[in-house]
Amino acid sequence: MSNIGVDSWVAESAERDERYTGWAGPARRLLDRVPSGWKLLVFLAVAAVYPLLVPQAGVRIGITALLLAMLAIGLNTVVGWAGLLDLGYIAFYGFGAYFYAMVSSDQLSVHWPTWVSIPVVVAASALLGALLSLPSRRLVGDYLAIMTLFFAQVFLEVIVNFERLPGVDIDLTGGPNGIIGVEPWQLFGFSLNTFNRNFYLLLLLLGLLIAVLRNIDESRTGRAWRALREDTLAAAHMTTPVNRLKMLAFAVGAAIAGLTGTILGPVQVGVFPNNFQLLFLITIYAALILGGLGSIPGAVLGAVAVAFTPEILRNPGTAGWLFYVALAVLLVSLLRKRAMVASVFVGLAVFGYALRFTLLAIWDESILGAANDTFLSRLLDSWLLILGPAQDLASNYAFVLAVGGMLGVIVAKGWWRVALLVPTVYLAVFVWENKLALQPSVTRQLLFGGVLVVMMAVRPQGMLGTRRVEIT
Amino acid sequence: MEFLLQQTVNGLTLGSVYALLALGYSMVYGVLKFLNFAHGEVYMFGAFAGYGVLTVLGGPTGLLVPVWLALTLMFVGAMVVSSGVGLALERFAYRPLRSASRLAPLISAIGASFFLQAAALLLFSANSRSYDAPTLIPIANGLTIGPINVWAVRVLVIVTAVVLMVLLTWWVRSSRAGKAVRAVSFDTEAAAMMGVDVDRVIVVTFLIGSALAGVGGVMVGLVFGRIFHFMGFIAGLKAFTAAVVGGIGSIPGAMLGGLLIGFAEAYTTAYISSTFQNLIVFGLLIAFLLIRPSGFLGRPELVKV
Amino acid sequence: MSTTPILEVRGLSKSFGGLSVIKDLDITVGTGEVVSVIGPNGAGKTTLFNLISGIYQPDEGNIMLDGESIMGSGPDQISNLGVARTFQTLRVFLNMTVRENVMAATYGSTKTRMWQSALRTPAARREEDEVRSIAEEKLAFFGDRLMGYRWDQPAYSLSYANRRRLEIARAMATNPRLLMLDEPAAGMNPAETHEITELIGRLREEAGYSILVIEHDMHVVEGISDRVIALDHGVKIAEGSFEDVAEDPLVIEAYLGYGAASTE
Repeated sequence: MSNIGVDSWVAESAERDERYTGWAGPARRLLDRVPSGWKLLVFLAVAAVYPLLVPQAGVRIGITALLLAMLAIGLNTVVGWAGLLDLGYIAFYGFGAYFYAMVSSDQLSVHWPTWVSIPVVVAASALLGALLSLPSRRLVGDYLAIMTLFFAQVFLEVIVNFERLPGVDIDLTGGPNGIIGVEPWQLFGFSLNTFNRNFYLLLLLLGLLIAVLRNIDESRTGRAWRALREDTLAAAHMTTPVNRLKMLAFAVGAAIAGLTGTILGPVQVGVFPNNFQLLFLITIYAALILGGLGSIPGAVLGAVAVAFTPEILRNPGTAGWLFYVALAVLLVSLLRKRAMVASVFVGLAVFGYALRFTLLAIWDESILGAANDTFLSRLLDSWLLILGPAQDLASNYAFVLAVGGMLGVIVAKGWWRVALLVPTVYLAVFVWENKLALQPSVTRQLLFGGVLVVMMAVRPQGMLGTRRVEIT
Repeated sequence: MEFLLQQTVNGLTLGSVYALLALGYSMVYGVLKFLNFAHGEVYMFGAFAGYGVLTVLGGPTGLLVPVWLALTLMFVGAMVVSSGVGLALERFAYRPLRSASRLAPLISAIGASFFLQAAALLLFSANSRSYDAPTLIPIANGLTIGPINVWAVRVLVIVTAVVLMVLLTWWVRSSRAGKAVRAVSFDTEAAAMMGVDVDRVIVVTFLIGSALAGVGGVMVGLVFGRIFHFMGFIAGLKAFTAAVVGGIGSIPGAMLGGLLIGFAEAYTTAYISSTFQNLIVFGLLIAFLLIRPSGFLGRPELVKV
Repeated sequence: MSTTPILEVRGLSKSFGGLSVIKDLDITVGTGEVVSVIGPNGAGKTTLFNLISGIYQPDEGNIMLDGESIMGSGPDQISNLGVARTFQTLRVFLNMTVRENVMAATYGSTKTRMWQSALRTPAARREEDEVRSIAEEKLAFFGDRLMGYRWDQPAYSLSYANRRRLEIARAMATNPRLLMLDEPAAGMNPAETHEITELIGRLREEAGYSILVIEHDMHVVEGISDRVIALDHGVKIAEGSFEDVAEDPLVIEAYLGYGAASTE
């Protein structure tokens, strides 16, 4: 006799339910059973070993990753947990950085001891966050986002133009040149003036923050934030003081950002307006969204991925591998049958050689340029057209066509998709070898922007987040 | 007095451009209740498209066709390219997210904006381009109104903007499609139940809003000379301010807001300092959002519990 | 039974942009009473709830909870004073588990500060355990429906009727003196409707709540009410026992149209 529908069957089906599907499924289920405390310790242990294995340049990137991770978990508190869209988060980071710089450098000839400056800066950042939360009482969603975005812009304008403000005749912020000579933290007689020391400081702070935030998440405050995010009106009716909690979320997020800012200065030995541009805010968002909004491990993972990407892209060899592997993965996920995938490869080979043959027949070898200095590039050189003089112009047209082709691929189905994929992939590879591989910073921006768009459409919960049900 | 009048003309010119951009924001918000962050990039691509057409036609010095034809083709080219970008945005970045949370389309829009800026950087490099308008439309041609001389190019901008806005208002009031747009703005579900093809209305809205932005882009090129890949960002913020100040979702509001912001910027630059023009505009936005989020002509949102 | 009514609404008026939705309304709910509010759609019933729970502020009139005015307060303050409600459109916290939904409602009666939670002090842990058992106790009121493994399921996995029950359980966790239920039987089949009727009876008998109910299903109204109030176009048109109100000609007209009463 079937017992479908009986309560015990329903209970077991919850376990049968493959929350994690795909090839990563069993691994995820296993990971879930490990308590999060252990996972944190393992992460910290691995990270602690990292500076011993890499040169200083690598440690510097590690620091960037840790700074980004702290910012990501701070932002997660505001956006992921409380559901408040804060596009001005970067201003808290800047505020903390500049405030610390002003009291720890020759800019104003003020040199506060670390045990004074850090608590003051963090408290002041929290206060600023609380202040900025006031508009959130009346503004929600898009409007709050815009307001906070503009606040960040105002912050930047003030920082850069401070000395030119009417009635001001001290150079508080160093204008467009920022503040240099920012002193490192001094703790227990140690001066944290090397990359390694700052790395370990950041790791320690990150570990503490994660533990503390995890505790808060599982407590009444965390629940209240989640209720606030789910349905603010209903939460208010269930005794949740929503305005106070919004303020708390902003304050906590801002405090974390401010704290992170105090370490940026020492690491760069200066703070500059360029550190706090919208580009960086997008980077933090990209890290958080990619890793999984609402998830602390997600935020950290996303931050590491995003921080190391530019380095990977900078090295043409590894960048190439990344590109081609991603392309292959995309291909496989876009096509249902193995026959289709094979057809694409065959089609590509034919298309590429045919095109090359035709063009070389019309013009001669003079249109060709040298292959890039990577293994894959040289491998593909005889198939792909790597151009010489017309490289830039042709790449531009190819880029536009490739983007159009990709959009078309999304819309097309079945064998039409296969047919469209052949020229599109070819163009993509063409653009890569002839242009993108040579311009890592633009590629990075393209990548981040594209990742945000694609993630939202395909997997809004990121890598480690959970799929949410939204009231439409 | 002369100076004031000159600044007023500047304000009017700037305001016309902002109004065209603000219309795109307002219309899209009206039908989708969503702020299209990437609208500034649509405008930027329009400006570059106009430049491209100009170059193909021989550039300002070696024009192969009469000036009026060149200008018309530039505007048309910009409208085509901008509409293309806008439609692609709607179809691929926003439509899949119609039923998602508030957060998702916003993030997608930010990502798209970023992507488009990078694409522009890739295609056009970081160098700015110049329309070289004074060669195209010599300053000598102009209107003399009272004590001031208004350059022909500014007259062109203002007149074109006014004509387009009049056409748009007429279209929204009288045509069937315009009524459909208004219906969807007012109550999407009810409109759908009355047989309005909401998807099509949204596409049309994006088309028109983006085309107007494209025109705005060419205008900026003509009046201010230089265009660069990043121009969409700040202009977008200001046009957005204009839309909010005038009342987001309201077409006359967008026009009013655009003019106000244009004047605010012109007078600030002239009488205070250009350093503060951005600050003043941003400050205006923050003030409005706090005090009167529905702007001058917008409808306050009533939410049924 | 105390003599001060738990809820007293006097002379309440509210209009939206020229449209008068509630006009000069008087409502009382005695301690331990179950009062039903009925009326055709658009009569102003949910608006009444929204005014009491603090979403809107009245244009005129006064609202008093146990003798004290609650005018001008927002929903979070009013819920802390002892008024809990459910929503016509059902607003549970979909992505939180069943247990968490109910635990979240205990915020106002707990006092662990954020720093204490951050450090997991013994006091924090104790209060967390208390909150957990309160939530489970409220959920247990609904018997098998919201028991056991269901506590850890996200609310979006619940059936419609169970979500309604969850909403009530959540409202109970705020320790209310007055419970306001907005169409608790909406969308339910006859068996479920019967259960709701019994449930409301138990809420009054076992849990001792005073209850104000908006309901369309007359079987439910008949089964639960000490008193029935009928509204139409924002005005009270009848009040009394279920039988009195059901036979009142004005009420019949409101539901069935002008002249319907005369065909009785």
